Amino acid sequence: MKIRKTLRILHRDLGYFIVGMTIVYALSGIILNHRHDFNPDYRIYTEELNVQTGSPQDYTRAKIENVLETLPYDLVYKKHYVNDEGLVKVFIESGELVIDPQKGAGVVRYLQRRPVIFEMNKLHKATLGTTWKWVSDIMAFILLFVAISGIFLLKGKRGFIRWGWWWMIAGFIVPLVFALLFI
Amino acid sequence: MDDCRFYCTFGLCFAIHLTLKNRNMKKIALIGLVAILFASCGQQTKKQELKSESAQVEAIALTVDQVLDQAPELADREVVVKGTVMHVCQQGGQRCFLMGSNEDITIRIEAGEKIGAFSQELMGSELEIAGVLKEVKTEADAHNPGAEHGEMEHEDDAETQEAHKILAENQEAAERVFFIEGLTVKEL
Repeated sequence: MKIRKTLRILHRDLGYFIVGMTIVYALSGIILNHRHDFNPDYRIYTEELNVQTGSPQDYTRAKIENVLETLPYDLVYKKHYVNDEGLVKVFIESGELVIDPQKGAGVVRYLQRRPVIFEMNKLHKATLGTTWKWVSDIMAFILLFVAISGIFLLKGKRGFIRWGWWWMIAGFIVPLVFALLFI
Repeated sequence: MDDCRFYCTFGLCFAIHLTLKNRNMKKIALIGLVAILFASCGQQTKKQELKSESAQVEAIALTVDQVLDQAPELADREVVVKGTVMHVCQQGGQRCFLMGSNEDITIRIEAGEKIGAFSQELMGSELEIAGVLKEVKTEADAHNPGAEHGEMEHEDDAETQEAHKILAENQEAAERVFFIEGLTVKEL
């Protein structure tokens, strides 16, 4: 049948085309599922440190940069200010350092992007502006087409009517059960 | 640049015509190419819009203090505000908070579709943001830092909790709360 042949060609070629995006959606989807267990975009390093006691005003840029140099990361100073509680808040490239000059203590929080995963998450969440939103919509439609066209590809014993629909219903039941139980 | 794109497209069409023998394949490849071309044209227009918008950004930039002082008059109008990024929401960077002359003066910026998201690396950076100033009137407009997107489900570190506390106190202290729906952003 001609329609089935066209469908097969489209399913095959669009299937090849969508492999990359499917990998992006699937892998980042797994990672984003666990966003409450760990930060999906960044590795966060936190370290406590001891600093000289004194007044908050003693902490000039030069002195703060000296403190940053003692830490085992490549930290670059951005700016700092002293808040109402007398804490010195320092913004660094990809993180921050808070110094309590009265206690002589500090905490640094340094973020490092998770390579590749960061970019995949950005693509998945479609937070790249309007154009990517439409492109990812098209990708999603292609994925949908590949999934639905796949239903009609095979005939006979292992075709949809005699075999496939069982599997399809099973696939619907899994999310349906969770939706009914937990929503 | 447009000429270059035209010749590249023409070249690619010709290459597709020569290489692909299957008619269906040819059709799909050509449709795909045209779609990409349209998308890139759209992107180009957007870039031009952004350029003109950034030119506008350069024209009138208010500090966070000025925006909050004049907020009732500026409500529902497009404003340009500049300030230091004090906090970026960790779950997706959908919003950030710009700090004024001290950390008790802050304004929430929603990234929205145009900006997409703010990255954590922007903390401490000086930004100039164009957007529409809105007043928080309903629960949907309000943002209780840490309460959305299930953020409460996982434990924030001490610094994030401290930032959320300061921001929540600032919102409670204000008689009327305003925020900005971001349109364009420029790092100074």
